[in-house]
Amino acid sequence: MERAKWILAGLLVLVAVGAVQTPLRAEAPESTATPKELVATYRTLADTILGANKTESNLVASILSTTYHHAEATLAMVHASLKARKPAKAELEKLAALVAQLGNEGDAAVGGVRKRLVEGGHHHNAAEEHQGTYDEGFVIVTRSAKKVFLEAAGNIGKMTESPKAAALDAEWQKVKTQYTELMTAR
Amino acid sequence: MRLSSVRAGMALGMAVLAFLSLSCGGGKPDRHQQNAAAHPSAAVRHHFQFVDVAQEAGITRLLLAGRPGKDHLLDSAGAGVAWLDFDRDGWIDAYLVNGWKLSGKRVIEKGRNALYRNRGDGTFEDVTDRSHTGGEGRWGSGVAVADYDGDGWPDLFVTSFGANVLYRNRGDGTFENVAVRAGVESPGWNTGAAFFDADGDGDLDLYVAAYIDCTLEEVLKAQPTLAWRGVDKVALGPFGLPGAPDHFFVADGKGHFREATQEAGLKDEALAFGFGVRAADLDSDGDPDLYVANDSDPNYLYRNEGGGKFREVGLWSGAALSANAAAQAGMGITLGDANGDGFPDLFVTNFAEDYSTLYRGDGKGFFQDISEESGVAGITFQPMSWGTVLADFDCDGDEDLAIANGHIYPQVDRHPELGNHYAQRSLLLENTGGGHFADATDEAGPGFLPARVSRGLAAGDYDNDGDLDLLISNLDASPTLLRNDSVRSGACLTVNLEVAPGSGTVLGTRVSITLGKRTLMRDVSSGESYLSAHDPRLHFGLGDAKVLDRLEVRWPDGTRTVRTSVPVQPILTIRK
Repeated sequence: MERAKWILAGLLVLVAVGAVQTPLRAEAPESTATPKELVATYRTLADTILGANKTESNLVASILSTTYHHAEATLAMVHASLKARKPAKAELEKLAALVAQLGNEGDAAVGGVRKRLVEGGHHHNAAEEHQGTYDEGFVIVTRSAKKVFLEAAGNIGKMTESPKAAALDAEWQKVKTQYTELMTAR
Repeated sequence: MRLSSVRAGMALGMAVLAFLSLSCGGGKPDRHQQNAAAHPSAAVRHHFQFVDVAQEAGITRLLLAGRPGKDHLLDSAGAGVAWLDFDRDGWIDAYLVNGWKLSGKRVIEKGRNALYRNRGDGTFEDVTDRSHTGGEGRWGSGVAVADYDGDGWPDLFVTSFGANVLYRNRGDGTFENVAVRAGVESPGWNTGAAFFDADGDGDLDLYVAAYIDCTLEEVLKAQPTLAWRGVDKVALGPFGLPGAPDHFFVADGKGHFREATQEAGLKDEALAFGFGVRAADLDSDGDPDLYVANDSDPNYLYRNEGGGKFREVGLWSGAALSANAAAQAGMGITLGDANGDGFPDLFVTNFAEDYSTLYRGDGKGFFQDISEESGVAGITFQPMSWGTVLADFDCDGDEDLAIANGHIYPQVDRHPELGNHYAQRSLLLENTGGGHFADATDEAGPGFLPARVSRGLAAGDYDNDGDLDLLISNLDASPTLLRNDSVRSGACLTVNLEVAPGSGTVLGTRVSITLGKRTLMRDVSSGESYLSAHDPRLHFGLGDAKVLDRLEVRWPDGTRTVRTSVPVQPILTIRK
């Protein structure tokens, strides 16, 4: 990611330099200021870089939102099964997996993309990673939130033998609270 | 039981001291009293005694490991070791995987793997040439042992940086590489491997983990470019390098395999940096699940859903991350019953300055990181850990932990202020009961004193004296063979499982022994630890039990062999 940014930046700089090269050669510059065309190009590039970060944040929020609503729907299915006294193991495990995905900011495939970004040197929350607030490459889900989600996921997964609606709701409440907190904070 | 004269002398001495202790104390000495008598200056845990006998035993093959500066991670990854009884003479033999030696961008020497035949007198004979098991010039990585073709002879699967090698045991002391014919070459940086009957059809399928996607050219050109802790440049990775996908091969029962990674649900979506692999029934449903230790990525737990299909449940089963919800640098794995509850637990070794993780299993496929409360976290925090085994070294009825250590950056030694070293001592942790561990390394004898850069570790009773010895590979050095001369706290039992050729496998068989209210559990696997394979026989420490109240063998096909009121004996062979 960082490499791509620098390549893009390099190209833009080359274009800009090309645009100002003739007058620079034709007459000696009277000012030591960076040519305004270069500054303007850099400003545009900054917009792109910052925009990409914002887009990344929005995309991850969408992944979380999709996962959360999928989980919510699955929870309703579990409740329906429980109410009908039908087996709910498959739905419960699906719910556990979805809640775990909230904690992991996506499934393993998303994790693969995140790893690629980290490999390229891109850390969305570099300073916070250093402080231990975020895991490497994570964008929205803090380490403490991750723990909450994963603990809830494990507890939900363990309910498959004798699921109780009240216990399930208690776990879901933890998920909901944590999710809402994260999404409100961004 | 067979003892060398020195060991016999020691045993006699111990017996005399124990007798004296009995006479003076007027009662039965416990193991600590016995031990204190044997070693007057000893504290309570002084009953372990391991001695490195590799040189006198003749196991001397040097493990080549890239360049001295370890410019690429391949230089420092090392290789596995295995115990197997390739000639079925009742004495386990040793197999050592080897790497290459580099100088700058040049290959100086392609190391040869080594097969050492156990003579049965405490020494080994190098039969590599005769057996044709030298490794085909590959940069070797890991090893798994299994009778993949069901002919009754154990075969060797050697993973490589390059194409894998499958040595089929011809049964006449020689092997042939059939990897191409079998369809398991799978070139890449392959690491851990496990044979197991994934689909319950009676033949052995194969999972192969892979680490980094890189070429030999990239390895040769590598320079230490990663600024490490702001003090030195070290080898880059694994972050910064692309992960390589793991592979799963399904067997057709005729000696051929077909890649079925995706259809089995085993696709390595995260391209995680895979190392150790262990197949075992982790949820007690009778079929084998799969656990993969990933370096810097969440570990995988693939639950067997039946019919050869798997589902990755690591994150919500509790076995993927640490208690802090952090991915660790998984290297090696061992499975055992650390807390004696009859259910399999997992222990995963990790990077330096991060603890190795003990996951307590509930027998239903859920795990909890209990490293802190078990005492393991503090003991394992400083070193960088690789090969490992949960095993009862003193036969007191609970499983202890052995861990092979060694850093990956030789540059560490240039910075003593960091408080770590390239060469590190292996660790021995004693299970003090209920899954609590204490560091017994200092009292484990001269074999645990030297610091080495260790990697692979395999436990096996090479001298057939009933207790487990340790074979450990060391970078740029010859291996260590730690003979276990410990004072025993009880009887040892070796269970040898056999199936008739062509009638299934013993891999995945679980043996449970009930002693009063306690249940001891072991299972048979093709390998674990770090890229290594232990003695295929199952070893139990029985403490002061005189009778096995119940012994149950659950074979991979679900059938059971049950015996009750079995008198304690050193070796028990059970045929299906």
